[in-house]
Amino acid sequence: MADHAEHHDDHDHGDAHGDAHGISHVATIKTLVGTGGTLLFLTVVTVLATKIDFGANINLAIAMVIAVTKATLVVLFFMHLRYDRLFHTVVFVSAICAASLFVGFTLMDSSQYQHTNIWHPSEPPAAPVGPRPTG
Amino acid sequence: MATTATTAIPESLKNLPQGPVKEPDFLHVTKGWKSWAFTLDHKRIGMMYLFGILFSLLLGGTFALLLRTELWSPGKTIVGADTYNQFFTLHGAVMVFLVIIPGIPAALGNIIMPIQLGAPDVAFPRLNLSSFYLWVSGATLLVLTIPFGGLDTGWTLYTPYSLETKTAVMVATMGVFLLGFSSIFTGLNFLVTIHKFRPQGMGWFQLPLNIWAIYGTAIMQVLATPVLGITVLLLTVERFGHIGIFDPTLGGDPVLFQHFFWFYSHPAVYIMIIPGMGVVSELISTYARKPIFGYRFVAYSSLSLALLSFLVWGHHMFVSGQSRLANMVFSALTFTVGIPSAIKVFNWVATLYKGDIRLKTGMLYALSFLLLFTIGGLTGLFLGILSVDVHLHDTYFVVAHFHYVMMGSTLVAFLGALHHWWPKFTGKMYNESLGRMCAIGVFIGFNTTFLPQFVMGARGMPRRYWDYDPQYQVFHQISTIGAFILGISLFITVVYLMASFWTGPKASRNPWGGSSLEWQAPTPPTLYNFETPPIVHELYNYDDLVEVAEDRWERLSEATENQSAAPVAAGDKEHH
Amino acid sequence: MSGGHDDDDAGHGHGNQSRFIQHHYDDAQHQFDSGKFGIWLFLAQEVLFFSALFVAYVLYRVHHPEIYSYAHKWLDVKYGAINTGVLIFSSLTAAWAVRAAQLAQRTLLIACLATTILCACAFLGIKYIEYSHKIHEHILFGHYFDPCISPGGEELLTKNNKCPGTKGSVTWDYVAVNPDNSVGKALEGCFDAAKLDQDLKLSGVQADCQVETVKIEMKGDKEVEVGAPTPITNQCADELLVVLNGNRGMEGTGKELEKEAAPKFPCWRPAYQPAVCPTTTTLDQHTHGVGDKPQVGILVEYGDHEEREDIKVKAKCKDAVPPPPIDPIAKAAEQKKEQLGTKAIHPIHVPTTHEEHEIESLGPPPEHTGMFFTIYFAMTGLHGVHVLVGILVFLWLLVRAIKGHFTPDYFGPVDFAALYWHIVDLIWIFLFPLLYLIH
Repeated sequence: MADHAEHHDDHDHGDAHGDAHGISHVATIKTLVGTGGTLLFLTVVTVLATKIDFGANINLAIAMVIAVTKATLVVLFFMHLRYDRLFHTVVFVSAICAASLFVGFTLMDSSQYQHTNIWHPSEPPAAPVGPRPTG
Repeated sequence: MATTATTAIPESLKNLPQGPVKEPDFLHVTKGWKSWAFTLDHKRIGMMYLFGILFSLLLGGTFALLLRTELWSPGKTIVGADTYNQFFTLHGAVMVFLVIIPGIPAALGNIIMPIQLGAPDVAFPRLNLSSFYLWVSGATLLVLTIPFGGLDTGWTLYTPYSLETKTAVMVATMGVFLLGFSSIFTGLNFLVTIHKFRPQGMGWFQLPLNIWAIYGTAIMQVLATPVLGITVLLLTVERFGHIGIFDPTLGGDPVLFQHFFWFYSHPAVYIMIIPGMGVVSELISTYARKPIFGYRFVAYSSLSLALLSFLVWGHHMFVSGQSRLANMVFSALTFTVGIPSAIKVFNWVATLYKGDIRLKTGMLYALSFLLLFTIGGLTGLFLGILSVDVHLHDTYFVVAHFHYVMMGSTLVAFLGALHHWWPKFTGKMYNESLGRMCAIGVFIGFNTTFLPQFVMGARGMPRRYWDYDPQYQVFHQISTIGAFILGISLFITVVYLMASFWTGPKASRNPWGGSSLEWQAPTPPTLYNFETPPIVHELYNYDDLVEVAEDRWERLSEATENQSAAPVAAGDKEHH
Repeated sequence: MSGGHDDDDAGHGHGNQSRFIQHHYDDAQHQFDSGKFGIWLFLAQEVLFFSALFVAYVLYRVHHPEIYSYAHKWLDVKYGAINTGVLIFSSLTAAWAVRAAQLAQRTLLIACLATTILCACAFLGIKYIEYSHKIHEHILFGHYFDPCISPGGEELLTKNNKCPGTKGSVTWDYVAVNPDNSVGKALEGCFDAAKLDQDLKLSGVQADCQVETVKIEMKGDKEVEVGAPTPITNQCADELLVVLNGNRGMEGTGKELEKEAAPKFPCWRPAYQPAVCPTTTTLDQHTHGVGDKPQVGILVEYGDHEEREDIKVKAKCKDAVPPPPIDPIAKAAEQKKEQLGTKAIHPIHVPTTHEEHEIESLGPPPEHTGMFFTIYFAMTGLHGVHVLVGILVFLWLLVRAIKGHFTPDYFGPVDFAALYWHIVDLIWIFLFPLLYLIH
């Protein structure tokens, strides 16, 4: 049996740092509260940012940058990825990549859709005039 | 080369125990239905899956024979068009979701993979049992569609018809949802097992290729199947609550359903085939007594297929209104996805070259696989060409293509694997002559059924049609005859396999001379698989194995008192 | 260490590990590492599970930005922001619970788990408030999107209230057949029942349609059918006049009518059948029969002066022809042509609970605005289901923590459940700006 029992007593008081002997890294109170506070602060920032009009696209970009920052903080510190095996990061990032692929390719397709003319059989559209479209 | 001359075999090898010595085997260690219903033993769970899957195969096969009978002549032969729609839909849904996707991973993967890995169990046995019950619940719901109105949308459930039809779509989609989660949890379990339960000495490149294949499959199961889950959930909610996401009158988009559906269903077809490829690697290596040619290439190809499979889903939608740009991108990517598969086929053929080939039932199936998968794979490339697909989409050409890869390849590999490992987990030998006969019957029946379909499809016969022009009748008739030959062969296979349970001769520990760890386990294995810790030998090295008697192989090294390779201690795992 | 030794399973010391280490694992570390990997795989599939909804969101936003910029105003940023804060705080307490379990701080562990559960319940509570408001206002998904009030506080035409700002609507539920056998249209009209004795002019009625019964639906009352002693035949090609009279019997009609003793209300009597149809629509001129078209008048009298909401007057023709089967293409085309949603009445200051900034005249919602709410309810609904499951999981953990199951070498369930909870938080971190903070 792997034997790590005798190391526990040294490391389990309040201020545990990257604990190589215990089962896993223990987060410090500073890290937890600091991350939580930053997240709440960023929430306030993102709400206030909508009050100022930079243009629809810029506002969206700002909101997304803040959201990604918040997400990164959650993943790195609350979810311990910063202190965890690299492979777990690979797993998570793969999922994000697969989802991005899904969004990206579908958007690539739909952005190329052309206008659809919905008409009723009793009112057929006029015959098109001009050369046959190539698009 | 393995020595077969009996004069070179030490006497001590002939008396080695074949079954377990100290404890009962896993089939007999506990008795009673509750010990099976609440078991945490991966082997028992795998066997329960196997019976469910074989039953589903018979059900799906019945639908197939019914629809092929209907197609014997144009117009009505035995049933009307609406019923025919139900036949092909249920045939597709049952086969895809209940047989081919779970087939090799859930049944055989569960039984064999941990033993092959040298592990006592999978990482999460309770999750494994839950996966099984999710499969059972999903299967029950899917079968319940039959009395509740059936299903006539095609297994692909395309909108807008699946929103409007009066058949039991919601029952089916809820079943598929549960089946999806069964698949996800199985994949999750296998990934963790392969990472964390390898014995000392079994690094990544000492893993049998079967396990590499299961690994690649599991990645796809975890990443792709949830999209199926949300898709069928949205379909159910849309049907019930008219939320409008796929309904153009409410602002939705029916082609979006197709994007959602195929984002899973394309990786799904690789979930179907890659375990089959893993099995074929094992079969060819064992029955040719040679290590697989280009091991690393084959291993990497399983992984690259798993990743590339996510990039090509649009090739199912070339004529659905997908944009020209997307069509071109998906077509180009589809060509790349054929490359890893081709690499495997070349490597298998190279393995056969100068091999010491034994034509056991498993090998016959493996050889069938080589031919049938090549045909299936190449015809897939034809369909990946945009201009050709415009003519071939939704014709029998597509039907023939996917049957060649799903049935001619995956099912054939499943049967090969079943025969290969049957002695190990049941402890009984099946009847080899019947096995070979049915393997040939399956091969002949299968090609008779589906080769004419390529021709019909290229000549314009659309798929899913109840009625057709008389010019196609002769093809349909040949196809129907082939289907019955195939069905009879499959039925006889299931019968003699079941019969061997009770009346078959006892199997030895290593009937085929395999070199991987499962052949070191007793036949049948004990509850935690091994009585003595297995020894990790060099992968696919058959030099040490001798045929002591008919269908019984032993390692020469076991004849000696002092073992050269250190046994694996219980606590030594390579887990990274 | 607070309360770390309350149970006998705080396994420190050689070979004395938690009873929850399963037999097929080498040791606690092996079990924990495997479980950790397993939960990360589960989280990966959760990301993919939500991904399809994000695809739908992105697609519809890119292709219909006008829908998003109009519809999001129905959402209350205040509630969304509070929910975000609550969830972040609960993420903090969940992460702290893991720390407490690792350090055998049992009381703190229980407190953190309980706080996480309470925050999650608060989240669902606020969701309930948001959802119930939307359900009440018919601000729903797809087919059921039928709001009565725009985000700017204007009343809108809805399927049930074609006459916002007024108190009643009239629907003719018959369809008559033209002499050329084409089928006429059903008719609708608006009137303000606040003003009694109001005329209703309804056009498009076919000639020679005999009106036999009138059904009157008044809000809060049952439908009442009033039959004429003799059917009234509309002799005019175009107009059928309905006069709603708030009692006073004959007064205000300008025409002598038969006096009936104590008529039962509501009742209907033919107002007149002039020989000549008037062209004007004022009551006076009708009653005087000015004009060249004969008209049929239906006088609906009800017994009091009260304003009735949603009064529907339906006339039934003899031998009514069933309406033609619904043609979905035509339905779609008709929906385009219908004035639903395009006829907003002048802004009425209706105090709504969610609008605090100035009432602005926004006009009606764009076509298919229901799609925004389809995506909104799908995403927040699925997220809410995950929050609910999280609550159940944390409750189970709380029970186990109270029983003292968790020790520094066995705290996997707390860690893994907290990771799940962080993913739930993470998804909300994206949903909030994407749904609530659209510019």
